[in-house]
Amino acid sequence: MSEEKRELTEEEKADRERRKIKSAGAMRELMTKYYIEAKGAEGTDRHIAWITSGAPVEPLIAFDVIPVYPENHGAMCGAAHMNVELCEVAEGRGFSRDLCSYARGDIGSAITKGGPIGGLPRPTFLVACNNICNTVFKWYEELARFFDVPLFIFDTPFVRGDLPPHIEDYSVRQMKEYISFLEKITGKEYDEPRFVEVAARSLFASALWKDVLACNEHRPAPMTCFDAFILMAPIVTLRGTQEVVDFYQALLDEMRQRIEEGIGILPSERYRILWDNIPIWYEMRNLGKLFMELETCLVADTYTSAWTFEGVDAERPLESMARIYTEVYLNINLERMAEKIESLAERYGVDGMIMHSNRSCKPYSLGQYDLAKEFTRRTGKPALIIEADHTDSRWYDRAQVEARIRDFVENLL
Amino acid sequence: MEVKTIVDECLELWRDPYPQMARLREEGERLVGVLCSYTPEEVLHAAGLTPVRLMGAMRSLTHADAHLQVYCCSLARTDLDMALAGELDFLEGAVFVQTCDTMMRLSDIWRRNTAFQYHGDLVLPIRMGEEVSLPFLVEEVRRFRRGVEEFTGQEIWDDALVESIHVYNRNRRLADRLYRARASNPTALDGLSAMSCLVAGFWMRREKHNELLHEILEGIEDSGEATGGEKVPLLVSGSVCTMPDLYELLLELGADVIDDDLCCGHRYFDAYVDESAPPDEALAKRMWERVNCPAKHQCIEDRFERLVRQVRDSGAKGVVFYLQSFCEPHLFDIPYLRQRLQDELEVPSLVLESELQSFSRGQLRTRLQAFIETISGV
Repeated sequence: MSEEKRELTEEEKADRERRKIKSAGAMRELMTKYYIEAKGAEGTDRHIAWITSGAPVEPLIAFDVIPVYPENHGAMCGAAHMNVELCEVAEGRGFSRDLCSYARGDIGSAITKGGPIGGLPRPTFLVACNNICNTVFKWYEELARFFDVPLFIFDTPFVRGDLPPHIEDYSVRQMKEYISFLEKITGKEYDEPRFVEVAARSLFASALWKDVLACNEHRPAPMTCFDAFILMAPIVTLRGTQEVVDFYQALLDEMRQRIEEGIGILPSERYRILWDNIPIWYEMRNLGKLFMELETCLVADTYTSAWTFEGVDAERPLESMARIYTEVYLNINLERMAEKIESLAERYGVDGMIMHSNRSCKPYSLGQYDLAKEFTRRTGKPALIIEADHTDSRWYDRAQVEARIRDFVENLL
Repeated sequence: MEVKTIVDECLELWRDPYPQMARLREEGERLVGVLCSYTPEEVLHAAGLTPVRLMGAMRSLTHADAHLQVYCCSLARTDLDMALAGELDFLEGAVFVQTCDTMMRLSDIWRRNTAFQYHGDLVLPIRMGEEVSLPFLVEEVRRFRRGVEEFTGQEIWDDALVESIHVYNRNRRLADRLYRARASNPTALDGLSAMSCLVAGFWMRREKHNELLHEILEGIEDSGEATGGEKVPLLVSGSVCTMPDLYELLLELGADVIDDDLCCGHRYFDAYVDESAPPDEALAKRMWERVNCPAKHQCIEDRFERLVRQVRDSGAKGVVFYLQSFCEPHLFDIPYLRQRLQDELEVPSLVLESELQSFSRGQLRTRLQAFIETISGV
């Protein structure tokens, strides 16, 4: 690797520098500041809530609660190659290796305070929403036992076809209950104008994020999914704040600038691929290199677009929030998922799809075999399914996966 | 009929219920497969359909691997495999109650890849037992009922539904009596026999099962004959026992199941439907207040508290957790349940995982034997 580095000419170095996404630095600063603040709040009067990635965070921001995301932390531990040892701690306590590795790692980190940032700050309460999976509420029940703190569950029943009114009513009732729960815990009153303001910022940031992702419809693509997986951290964790709006505005400007100047993320882009499922966090670097070598760009994915919300009615903020959170990608039937995949494939002009069959995520992975066939039927493009786990590298066979990706790409077109 | 004859027939059914389902079809019954104990079977019953439970089967897979990953539970995999192989063609369709992520996706996969005329979905809230979720569940039951009506082309009258509820409530009362009779006189009927008599009902018209249970109860209450000596009493907790092997082996090894926390056992008949309330609401209310599946949020009664009560009341000396491999809802509860059983009751427990494609009776025997020896201090 180091040899390869020495061999770079001045010209290549300059080219690499030119292709680098400059906003990545701003994002690191934003996230560092966020984690420092969150960790610093531990033991103070400020409330800290651990919350699932798909849960409505806007009420927390409106109530001045610091949201902390074990899933984001899990991704961080995975990328730092530290999640396996945390999983092993949980396994030592009797948690099966067949449970989600985010959950195992998080439980391990709660026990040992291990991981790249020395664990997450202790929560004063928990919020779980099962729109992304039913694993989360079992995981949060365990956290509630471990920390002995209250748990609010926002229950989003599975939606087949159009959202039926009885699910919407149930979601709205819970949204109101959620607000009362926060009033009780924080001792503050619900401030609707404040909530609308937060919701509007959240929506605005999410619209910017959507525009950022849409920049990849351009050829050459100004970024890859590997960048999006990293750059999505603020929209997941801090949506509803002004800093996040500012960050995505700057990122969007940069992406548009790149398009104007014709700067692609890869030195050359021959193939364009759609990615499905959560990233293989511990393997981002290697896969990034492999795809670069194969002149293949992962231009779109089904994961990062989960945080692009649409259709908030400012007159009925709670109602529209309730609806949005219920109809996320993982909470709808296979046919609706197939439609989304098909639409992504068309918009981004992909040559094929790679699906990560993720041992840790059943709602994302079960059904992929059928979706892959449906994708090919609808688009005429091939699909490849690779087996892995989002943060437990013990389930990953690098040689096999890389060989399969090579074969797949070589047979494109 | 003699108690033993009935029990033997029930045990045969438990071992392989599929030929019986085919027979029922030949006799003119209209069968609908049921994968979950939350299914409001009364609705199907009132529509003239016969619900039959699908609990997987011991088999190697030929078709399902093209649709479900290996890290999916063997209930989903083997049920789907049988359906795709055409071995369930005696069914008119099946009902998918969405208790967990696997069932949610299995429903779509099943619908897309089979040609059954009927497909029922019912989504459960996870916040069972909390006021906020009840109106949603009532509407789900209504929606489910409309789906059945659309399929049969006939309205289900309220009085027919109330009648079916009555039949099923009677079944629950009889099942409860069976468990009580067994608890008060464990030597009259062993755990294997009691469980056989209960699960056999999954594959016959409920009226017939009521007669059967009645006959059994009369038989054991009359005779009081002993079928065995002192056994080590155990409680089994988990989801379903597809095969009777676990119960048989325990008997062979000098133990017996005195009570259970299974969805093909005690959880199946827990709580009654209120016969005086509007039927949709009453059916929803029962599902909502019965003992929770671990795939639902534990807000009614803490699972551990209930387990403690069951262990104390039954006098069980150990708990066997019998789970499906890859079943997250159950697996998450294992560490705290085991720890607290040990710390607070000094009751040892054993965790067994079931994978129907690779079932090994020998391995099961070895592990049970070691566990029973620990308890009896051999």
